[in-house]
Amino acid sequence: MKKNNLTRRDFLAAASATAAFSIVPSYVLGANGQTPPSDKLNIAAIGCGGMGGVNINMLGAQNFAALCDVDDKRAKDTFEKYPNVPKYKDYRKMLEKHDKEIDAVLIATPDHTHAVAAMAAIKMGKHVYVQKPMAHDIYEARELTKAARKYKVMTQMGNQGHATEEIRLVREWLQAGAIGNVTRVHAWTNRPGGPWGWAQGRDVPQKPKPVPAYLDWDLWLGTAGNRPYHPAYCPGVWRGWWDFGTGALGDMGCHIIDPIFWALDLGAPDSVEASSVELKPHSAPIASMITYKFGARGNMPAVEMIWYDGGLKPARPEELEPGRRMGNDNGGAIFEGDKGKLMFSGAGGAPRLIPETAMKAYKRPEKTIPRIRGSHEDDWVRACKTGKAASSNFDYAGPLTETVLLGNLAIRAGEKIYWDSENLKVTNCSEANKLVQRQYRQGWSL
Amino acid sequence: MSAKNNITRRNFIKCSASSAFAFSVVPSFVLGANGQKPPSDKLNFAAIGCGGMGYWNIYKVGEAEKENIVALCDVDTREAAKPGGGWFNASNTYQKYPDAAKFKDFRKMLEKQGKNIDAVIIATPDNTHAVAAMACMQMGKHVFVQKPMTHNIYESRVLVKAAHKYKVKTQMGNQGHSDEGIRLIKEWILDGAIGNVTQVHCWTNRPVWPQGMKTRPPKMEVPKTLAWDLWLGPAPYRDYNYQYCPGAWRGWWDFGTGVLGDMGCHILDPIVWALDLKSPEYVESDSPGGTIESPPKSSKIHYKFGPRGKMCAVDVTWYDGGLMPDRPGELEQGRQMGDKEGGCLFVGDKGKLMCGAYGRGPRLIPETKMKEYKRPAKTIKRVKGGHEKDWIRACKGEIDQSSSNFDVAGQLNEVVLLGNLALRVKDRVYWDGENMKVTNNAEADSYVRRDYRQGWTL
Repeated sequence: MKKNNLTRRDFLAAASATAAFSIVPSYVLGANGQTPPSDKLNIAAIGCGGMGGVNINMLGAQNFAALCDVDDKRAKDTFEKYPNVPKYKDYRKMLEKHDKEIDAVLIATPDHTHAVAAMAAIKMGKHVYVQKPMAHDIYEARELTKAARKYKVMTQMGNQGHATEEIRLVREWLQAGAIGNVTRVHAWTNRPGGPWGWAQGRDVPQKPKPVPAYLDWDLWLGTAGNRPYHPAYCPGVWRGWWDFGTGALGDMGCHIIDPIFWALDLGAPDSVEASSVELKPHSAPIASMITYKFGARGNMPAVEMIWYDGGLKPARPEELEPGRRMGNDNGGAIFEGDKGKLMFSGAGGAPRLIPETAMKAYKRPEKTIPRIRGSHEDDWVRACKTGKAASSNFDYAGPLTETVLLGNLAIRAGEKIYWDSENLKVTNCSEANKLVQRQYRQGWSL
Repeated sequence: MSAKNNITRRNFIKCSASSAFAFSVVPSFVLGANGQKPPSDKLNFAAIGCGGMGYWNIYKVGEAEKENIVALCDVDTREAAKPGGGWFNASNTYQKYPDAAKFKDFRKMLEKQGKNIDAVIIATPDNTHAVAAMACMQMGKHVFVQKPMTHNIYESRVLVKAAHKYKVKTQMGNQGHSDEGIRLIKEWILDGAIGNVTQVHCWTNRPVWPQGMKTRPPKMEVPKTLAWDLWLGPAPYRDYNYQYCPGAWRGWWDFGTGVLGDMGCHILDPIVWALDLKSPEYVESDSPGGTIESPPKSSKIHYKFGPRGKMCAVDVTWYDGGLMPDRPGELEQGRQMGDKEGGCLFVGDKGKLMCGAYGRGPRLIPETKMKEYKRPAKTIKRVKGGHEKDWIRACKGEIDQSSSNFDVAGQLNEVVLLGNLALRVKDRVYWDGENMKVTNNAEADSYVRRDYRQGWTL
């Protein structure tokens, strides 16, 4: 049937290749009726618009027990799809009321409420799927990782590229020595620009606006300090404000750094330094460059990873044929090894040794890493049902998130920071340590 | 000599060179007309553009060196600025030279006062550098032209040729070129202090004026004190708005050349000179928020130069607007990278050399390397008395050429302006220097030269 020949798998590949989420026709979404009712996971969702709506659609074969959003307008489409499911504005009330019916919780709020919502769910023994970045602060990421182990719940961060074939190829090829020892990696994104972009480098709006009737502003603020409502904060544009978001890096770093982090077993960096453009006290800069330095790992030598955003890119490598595109609309990465270079687009898409002649000559190693069938969300559902960890569970995603967020610490510190990961501490700059864990507004705790 | 007077010329020049954009406040006793009858060996100078940087260039020629200032031209005769800001208007200069003839149109000044003028200081916005300099040279006048020497590459080549043709003495206003720092850098690099230089990083904290504007501001009434049409000069006509002038024109492509055009002529100067850089193989850039109207708020520009004589190929990377290269491991903790206006980091196969903006304070890093280094003999001629003095000497025939004469400055100016070609098209631009042509990008090639507004020619 022609109408149906866009499979979920194709969609996933397309979505991961662009990391911008195409609008998917309803016929590929929705329940497929193949999952026996008894086998369905009972999910509650916190944050039902934007990416939350996409995740809910991808989880359409499961059962939704309750839905929560502080913004009726943004959640409207999802809410209308599930007319009989109870709706909430406050996730705490929802969890309390439906504790017994809920197996698992999807969290797709702005960054600053990821951790408190996830922690509440984990402590109640619920499995969690948390949008990336897993947390707003490094401390929160560490605590969530520990809690997931303690409460033995199944976790997944929403870096959906981690479920793809391509990210596995990158790891397999690099681990097989396709380009020798990797000593430098460049990674970049067009954010905060582009069609999915938002403003950064902003000053705090001075003239408050009335809170729209459809929005519970106090709950939207959640852990963040109280302030008058302004449309410059939400919806969607919160990423550019340090109190709510984590900038271009927090958004796209979890996608684009993911294949690098995994393939090279990066872990925590020794040092991070950054320079940026139009950095404001309350707003992320309009562009930045960040250099992470990692020590030797196993038989892999020390490596530096350089991140560029806001339109900045690394210099075009000589190996890339004239006219050939470097990365894609969302960005990409280039690994430099002592025996060659590997480039991918977006969140790990279309990996190729460059030049193309090197790719053609390459004898690919055996595919040893297990593949994910279905989507990133499916992977999590399977984990919840079988007890076998999902691909981007918190033991993996926690350290990835910490490393990504360290870049923001370096941007805001304004100097090179040296990192003691074990003790969660910047060793040379006491100001930067204040950013490892922020103060919550009264009434909120992790 | 009274204590009041012990601010020496040398100190003053050093001090003002160290801030070039933020002009130190100079006490009034070093200003003011001197009223002395000029001795016969004095030359007659004119100036086009008498506020801002022009004020200081004229100060150095007219007051510090006590040359004759016979004619002054500025399109903007707004009231004199109060001392304290370090920024002066043409009227401040005018007040000091009541006897000098005053003009709004430099063409009329040259026509009426041509016979009295030996040499001309040109310190207009970038868009009128070339037409003014050319008009002066064609009349056999020596010229001192603020940096960048020109607004585009074509103009730069024309001026270099004209200086030879009309046998006039020239100087671009990159005053660091007359200082000690740039000479030490060149001597040390030629001495092999850091081996073969394969990479250079250079940076500045600017822009300190708006860039990245998407649209032109609305029309405003032209102030009575401004000859807007003359201010536009050869640039395409547009309606006046205060956002263009007096100070913020650098952020509009039609008039200025952005941060690179401003500070590149200072910061790339030691690199281009020490490494003898001419046409790069290519230049590439990416930049957040550049528009058709205005340079971006920040940029990173990468030049690739092939081997030159015994010197190997070198990558030169420029950063501005807050972007910086990584801190070199050799730099001791707590030590500043460059200085407050920027700097350069030369990376060789045997070490690293760092300096501030204008080539100031070069040091091998780490400091232990500097201490160990046996410095070579100082073989490059030193300039005494500063950049303007150097040019005055050339004008008087006391020396053959000033330090940043157009043969030297043209090479630098072209390298600087090439960065803007890449910046404007956000692409890698391949450059055929011999034929003055971008070989792979028609839009970039279109910026090599521009058509002038009717009534203006080079």
